[in-house]
Amino acid sequence: MIVPYALEISVVCVGIFLLMVDAFLKTDKTTIAWTGVVVLLAIFGLTFALGPMPKGVIPEAFYVLDPTALFFKRFLLLATVLTLILSIDYSPVYQKFVPAAVPQAGLGEFFTLPVFACAGMMFMVSANDFIMIFVALELVTITFYVLVASMRKNQGSLEAGVKYLILGALSTGFLVYGITWLYGITGYTSLDGIQSVLPRVPEQYQPSVLFGLGLVLVALGFKVAAVPFQFWVPDVYQGAPTPVTAYLSVASKAAGFVVLLRVLEPFVTTPTFQVKVFGILTILAAVTLILGNLAAMSQQNLKRLLAYSSIAHAGYLLVAVASLSAPGAKVAIGFYLGGYLLMTFLAFLVLLNVAKVSGGDDIRDFNGLGKRSPVLALALLISMLSLAGLPFTIGFLGKFFIFEAALASGQYVLVVLGAITVACGFYYYLKVVMAMYWQPPAPSATNIQVSPFGQFLIALLVLAIIIFGIFPQPILGALTHL
Amino acid sequence: MSTSLAPWIILFAPLVAATLILFFGRYSKPLSAGLAIAAAALGAYLSWTLFLSHEPIEAAKFTWLSLPNFTVEIGVTIDQLSKVMLIVVTNIATLVFIYSIGYMDHEEGYWRYFGGLALFLFSMLGIVLADNLVMMFIFWELVGVSSYILIGHYYSKDSAADACKQAFLVNRIGDFGFMLGILFVWLATGSIVFSEIFAKIPGAQFAGPATLTIGAILLFCGTIGKSAQLPLHVWLPNSMEGPTPVSSLLHAATMVAAGVYMLARIFPLLLTVDIARDVIAWVGGITCVVAALMATQQNDIKRILAYSTISQLGYMVLGAGVAPTADVPMFHLFTHAFFKCLLFLCSGSVILGMHHEQDIWKMGALKNKMPITLLCTLAGLLALAGCPFFSGYFSKDLIIAWAVEEQPILGWLSVFAAGLTSFYMFRLFFVVFFGKPKSDHAKHAHESPAVMVIPLLLLSIPAVIGGYGFIEHPFFPHIEHPHHVPEILHIALLAMFIGGLVLGFLLYFKADKDPLNIPFFANRFYIDDLYAWIVKTFQDGLAWVSAWADRWIVDLILARGTALAAVVFGHVLRCLQIGNIQAYAFFFGAGVVGLLYFLIVR
Repeated sequence: MIVPYALEISVVCVGIFLLMVDAFLKTDKTTIAWTGVVVLLAIFGLTFALGPMPKGVIPEAFYVLDPTALFFKRFLLLATVLTLILSIDYSPVYQKFVPAAVPQAGLGEFFTLPVFACAGMMFMVSANDFIMIFVALELVTITFYVLVASMRKNQGSLEAGVKYLILGALSTGFLVYGITWLYGITGYTSLDGIQSVLPRVPEQYQPSVLFGLGLVLVALGFKVAAVPFQFWVPDVYQGAPTPVTAYLSVASKAAGFVVLLRVLEPFVTTPTFQVKVFGILTILAAVTLILGNLAAMSQQNLKRLLAYSSIAHAGYLLVAVASLSAPGAKVAIGFYLGGYLLMTFLAFLVLLNVAKVSGGDDIRDFNGLGKRSPVLALALLISMLSLAGLPFTIGFLGKFFIFEAALASGQYVLVVLGAITVACGFYYYLKVVMAMYWQPPAPSATNIQVSPFGQFLIALLVLAIIIFGIFPQPILGALTHL
Repeated sequence: MSTSLAPWIILFAPLVAATLILFFGRYSKPLSAGLAIAAAALGAYLSWTLFLSHEPIEAAKFTWLSLPNFTVEIGVTIDQLSKVMLIVVTNIATLVFIYSIGYMDHEEGYWRYFGGLALFLFSMLGIVLADNLVMMFIFWELVGVSSYILIGHYYSKDSAADACKQAFLVNRIGDFGFMLGILFVWLATGSIVFSEIFAKIPGAQFAGPATLTIGAILLFCGTIGKSAQLPLHVWLPNSMEGPTPVSSLLHAATMVAAGVYMLARIFPLLLTVDIARDVIAWVGGITCVVAALMATQQNDIKRILAYSTISQLGYMVLGAGVAPTADVPMFHLFTHAFFKCLLFLCSGSVILGMHHEQDIWKMGALKNKMPITLLCTLAGLLALAGCPFFSGYFSKDLIIAWAVEEQPILGWLSVFAAGLTSFYMFRLFFVVFFGKPKSDHAKHAHESPAVMVIPLLLLSIPAVIGGYGFIEHPFFPHIEHPHHVPEILHIALLAMFIGGLVLGFLLYFKADKDPLNIPFFANRFYIDDLYAWIVKTFQDGLAWVSAWADRWIVDLILARGTALAAVVFGHVLRCLQIGNIQAYAFFFGAGVVGLLYFLIVR
């Protein structure tokens, strides 16, 4: 019988294999990335052979393979594949900022580390025990510290790495401390165990349980970029190499949300804790929505704008988390993240190609892109409209499902807030569109050529955004299908 | 082929064709025409298969979205009604597409034209196959869009650009009613799926029968717009700015009939709301007379036919208001689709032969130069005018008989309109084909190419025989005939036909200019001018008010105000986002304290 975590094992093996290839490969290092893409796609295909498994079947209690876990494993594999492709595009820029003893030094690590992060995140979405959660989370975070800071001659990258490292360490401290409190009171580290004990916690210990949970929430809030633990996001996103930023904002956030859902599960189903937990989630969602969207409005740099937009999207996702009592909330989160993957990678793909030629990623570098490269402009247009939530894009349906769940669970305040902030969103996303189509290009600006493969990828992402925006059933089916 | 997928193939083939034409059509004229025709012909073939198979057809349903607590499915309706309509739409579309090869040969925007036609066919089939009101509404709007594209085909011509805008805007008025109607029906019955709505009707406790009545009347507003009933008829004559095959397919045979089809689709609902039926009957009855009166004084060959179409649609709507089954108006829709399509294509043939001259007073004596067109026109004309034993005679007289029985005033008005029909059609016929040639073009007119003439001949067949029992019974098994019709009615109708013929012959057989001059009819009852005045007066006023509001309220307070607020807020946040790691750690800690406070203490 296949062990259930065969997927993760194979991804780790792929990572080790790629590292070894790197040691011996003297010529073009992008081969490593291409190999990674192909192998990971093969593993993606394998996930369809592996159905979700009920809890009893898997002997290891720390590991679950429910539809959510399986869906997000596919999600993470795709995100990693896209990141590797972006990295290949980015490698000329990357090399400029790495001290090169030999040509293409450092590229091997740059292509391999995402694979290890992927394995970590795949463990994260299946983790059902705090120890497992902690270990997987650290595997991911440490990999990301290295990736963020990997452009060693670039001050922004180094600064971002240090900030991420220090604040990340801080949040990890809170996580471990929270876990010890929960373990101290319940006597379990497994979520199933905690679930079984929670209803019987005596009243005088309930604040202690909440204290422990609160600290865990802090760490997970840091991970998914919820306000007020989001301060690292703009600086780190802007400083990190662009593919890493995309990876961080999509994959790391998604894995964080899955862990959040798993951790919250025992607490929101226990009547004694339900009210308080939903209360704090509502507050987190509200401040994240407001702050993320308002702060995005005054941004002049697209990478930073996308960072704030990533906070804003965390806000919408938190609305769904705060509506977990509605039956559709979990599916809504999965669908929203699926859409977020498509439109964010599309945006970063365009950003990367434009920045390579223009030398900067301010919004004014996109002036006149409609004339300089109609393909890229159209792609960014679709991506921005979808991020803003225009009908017939996947972004619209994502928000629709989330608001539907919020209404079903009676979170009217969040729905009203959400509707207002969506309007803010239109303001700052359309600012980019305006620059592309209404502003004249700078006199020095040149036309931008996109490789055939890049065009193919753009077409694929655009089509997916529109097709799933009209016919969402394939994704919904994958999320609910047992 | 499995019949459960056939409806979906019929529906989506034209969309695929339209998409392909959009991408590749510009490179090859035969390719764009071929794709559109192939899609239409495939649809026609599958429609016949569906129609001839007697097993009940379980069309595949698709889950559009399923969340744990609600599921939306999209499906299609395959019943007698939609099967018949499929046959009408796909077959006529195929013939008109073929005809277009000849008609549009020397026009620019060839691929744009065929792309538009394919898109139209997709939208129209969507209306026919829709199994719920919302799906129907979406395709209803798509039909409006494709009609807009096609009317505005010669977009560089001002009159065409104005006409397509007018068509779109006037239809929006009706569509707004349609949309509200969907809401009301949903309020009353809690469903938008046809079968579920009807299942709830017998003896059900609605949210109030008044809601349902209002809903039905509002839905009928959609028909008023799309089927060009009074008072929203003004767009249809102007839509004749589009290419003639478009007028033929959209503005005579199929699209304008969508309103009537919708009434037939919701017929079980209509039967329960008498007031709505009365409204429908009166709107239809008055339209059929008024439009016929207007038609008698028009000089543009296509406009005469346009008013005639409005008048005939009036008959169908009247039928939906008086007859006990939906098959009665549908029967007339069926015959009318063929003979009116035929008449328009004939007029297209004449216009092409006359080098794009449309004024009938510049034609004349075409009988020798265009003999096949003359014969086909005659077939369509006799069917339209209700000559005994031609298709229109059966279907129109059935509606009139029901009207006389149920609403005598409207009934006799519609008899009068039948006489007018005969009169204005023979006026057109004699002026165009007989008398002296009235311009140089008329002297040098020529018959059209075979690719245009063959569709004409093919369409003449159903125009002549479409009303006989061997067609009627398989297509419309539920037709009922009224029992208490006065004997005099049939004599009166025959007299009306002959009267129109004789009067037309006497006045127009040798006329060089119109011996009658009735400005009131020629100027279309001044309704267009009235609308122009209303729009001008009120719109200018409204424009002034909104310009003021835009400048002072929207611009100053809303736009500047929010922009300022955003900038201020952004600066505040920028002060927080100082980039200093110690500060971040401090904010982080403050956040932790805040979170724990709200979680535990509060």
